[in-house]
Amino acid sequence: MWRTRLFDNLVQAATWMAGGLLILTILAVFYYLFAESQYAFARKFPFGFRVALQPLNSEYRDDISMDPTASLLAAHREGSDELDDAEDATRLPLHEELVSMQPLVTATAQTADLNRLRPDELFRDCMRAPKRAEQGERFLLLAFAMPTYNGDTMELAWEPDVSFDPAYAPYEFRLRLVRAPEGVRIDPIEVNLNQQPKGRLALPVWKAHSPEEYLKGYLFELEARPTTTTTLATIQQFLKPDWAPTILYARFGMLPLLLATLLITALSMLFATPLGIAAAVYLSEQASPRVREWFKPILEILAAIPTVVLGYFGVMLIAPWLQRLFAEGLQLTSGRGLLATALMMTVFILPTIISLSEDALRAVPNSLREGAEALGLTLAERIRLVILPAAKSGLIAALLLGVARVMGETMIVWILSGGTPTMPDFSSPTAALGTLVKPTRGIPDTIAIEMGNVEFESPHYGHLFLLGLTLFVLTLGINLLGFVYRKRAQLQL
Amino acid sequence: MQTEATLTGIAQRSEWEQRAARRDAQRLRKNALLTTLFGGMGLLTTLLVFALIAVIAYKGAPTLSWEFLTQPPREGMSAGGVWPMIRGSLLLMLGTFLLATPLGIFGGVCLAEYGERSRIMRFMHASVAALAGTPPIVYGLFGLAIFVLKFHFGVSLLAGWCTLTLFSLPVIVLTTETALKTAPAALIDGGLALGLSRWQTLWRIALPYALSGILTGVILSLGRAAGEATPVLFTASIYYSTAQLTLGWETLRQPVANLPYYLAEGYRQPGVVPDHLIWGACLTLIMLVLLLNAGAIFIRSRTRRRYL
Repeated sequence: MWRTRLFDNLVQAATWMAGGLLILTILAVFYYLFAESQYAFARKFPFGFRVALQPLNSEYRDDISMDPTASLLAAHREGSDELDDAEDATRLPLHEELVSMQPLVTATAQTADLNRLRPDELFRDCMRAPKRAEQGERFLLLAFAMPTYNGDTMELAWEPDVSFDPAYAPYEFRLRLVRAPEGVRIDPIEVNLNQQPKGRLALPVWKAHSPEEYLKGYLFELEARPTTTTTLATIQQFLKPDWAPTILYARFGMLPLLLATLLITALSMLFATPLGIAAAVYLSEQASPRVREWFKPILEILAAIPTVVLGYFGVMLIAPWLQRLFAEGLQLTSGRGLLATALMMTVFILPTIISLSEDALRAVPNSLREGAEALGLTLAERIRLVILPAAKSGLIAALLLGVARVMGETMIVWILSGGTPTMPDFSSPTAALGTLVKPTRGIPDTIAIEMGNVEFESPHYGHLFLLGLTLFVLTLGINLLGFVYRKRAQLQL
Repeated sequence: MQTEATLTGIAQRSEWEQRAARRDAQRLRKNALLTTLFGGMGLLTTLLVFALIAVIAYKGAPTLSWEFLTQPPREGMSAGGVWPMIRGSLLLMLGTFLLATPLGIFGGVCLAEYGERSRIMRFMHASVAALAGTPPIVYGLFGLAIFVLKFHFGVSLLAGWCTLTLFSLPVIVLTTETALKTAPAALIDGGLALGLSRWQTLWRIALPYALSGILTGVILSLGRAAGEATPVLFTASIYYSTAQLTLGWETLRQPVANLPYYLAEGYRQPGVVPDHLIWGACLTLIMLVLLLNAGAIFIRSRTRRRYL
């Protein structure tokens, strides 16, 4: 007797433990995806502008980044957190060199404090560490001409540093004239660099005759004024259309990835839904039991083909074929892209959809079938008017499950998508075709590609978890909806 | 008289009868068309499977040899075999099987016995259903955050086991639950009437009855776990290491090479591994997974014969 009781208790304990572990797992998945996403919100926002003082006919008019005398005012160097860290900065050349080499000079200081400006502490560039969105940043910039300069005007030109776009920093950038040199009459200058990221301003010539006089030149201020909190800014940036996390001015806009994932899902469901449901209808309504018995294992075999293999199959055979097909006019370097991915995704998802749809169709009671047959309906009519409507909830559940699986499938996208984040473009037929066959990149493969080379617990790592969280929330919603439909199907029948 | 009347009757009806006949013919045509279409889709899927398998077998078969299956790679991965990867895949599967089966079965029992009863269990049921459809990459991320970093397992076999266990658990739980629910109420009531306790009924009657369904589910989810590169991508995988292939406790803390990851890397670093080796590895992986599936199909067919 005691043995029975002990046995009962043991089994019960094991059951409860397993149940508890399941609940714990579910909560832990949620918690850790959220917790690791916190690192994304530790991000800082790099920015950089190039400013140069140029003569009217400067050869670098259009591309200031080529101008060797331009100053770079940037907050992009992770690690150099000291505000006055002058070690790596380029010092301003000596007065004599400037006189002979460079008639127009912009100079900057490590400090942003007017009173601490010193003539021997001037630099050509100023590179600081990026800051949080709340913090902002301020640079001082001196502009003056050398005595040897013989033009009668000079222009202050500015543009964003290469690969920097003011839209990807949550600041309001302003270039302001703090102080004009003595004896120069000029209207106050204040330029909003967000609205006018690239521009030029004519300034009356003012010459500095000695290093001490440098400080009396035009004094500008480039200010990055905070507009929002880091949390909000991170979310805002996350929704922007450019994903380039490894460039100097990192961009974490996941919109192209999300759209690519959604497009791949939509396209492959477009292929797989009619195919899958038709095959399921054949299997449940028309096929003889013998055929059905053969078909089920075949479906399982298809479902069991590893996705890596499917991806490899696609890249070796489908992609070259697509490339040949669309090579004219689109200059495809490979056939990898949305369409190739969606095609292999269809193969991947078909067995799931067929076997779930077939379950849903088989759950329709035979009385309905027989009643419809007794009314003299043909098979096609019975299917269309009776069986499909009766199985509707179950079929929707099957399709939703398929959607969730396609959305999260990684290896096929990784191998076949081509790996370049691109915004889909449907403005013209050519552009739409290009969107379909040119390389793209989805959310899951981005995580898989980049997680391997990322520094743990860095903002980039956090953003990858944020991507994972996005994917998880999306698939969770779809799965739960599918669960509800499945329950409804069970209740209906 | 009578014949005449009948004839006129026919003549009077013939117009709408003709229309009905036309409509019926149309209906039958439509029926034939649609049924052929549905059958065609079924045929197409079958052909697709055979074409896929045939192409991979055609491309991979020349590479496949005893040497390929039992030798480590040589000459910077460009020659030799894939034994370390097969071994890694088998190791990963074995541990996952040992961890996930008991947990999954007891979890399924928990759902089947207590499901729908309390709010917590309903929450659990919905969550397991949702977890079953959660992308493998999310499990990979989770495994990285918790097993590799939080528990300091490092990128290791152990972390891979845990991640793959979590990955295959929901499917096992759900199939166990479904299989248990198919146990006939008469058997269970009979057991209870004979004075067995509730848990003995479960253990002695419902579970053996459902065992084949459960095993099929376990094997299928194991096959899926074995072929999936994503959960082990950051948690357990290494491209290839020349370390001695000994088995010991320290193996647990070392990353393992495995077939899916080998294929993924072979793609990522183009030109390193020649195509014929990749196709051979593809075929090996498929055969590994199909072997498992064949086991599942065998179990199912045997039990069907026993019970039906």
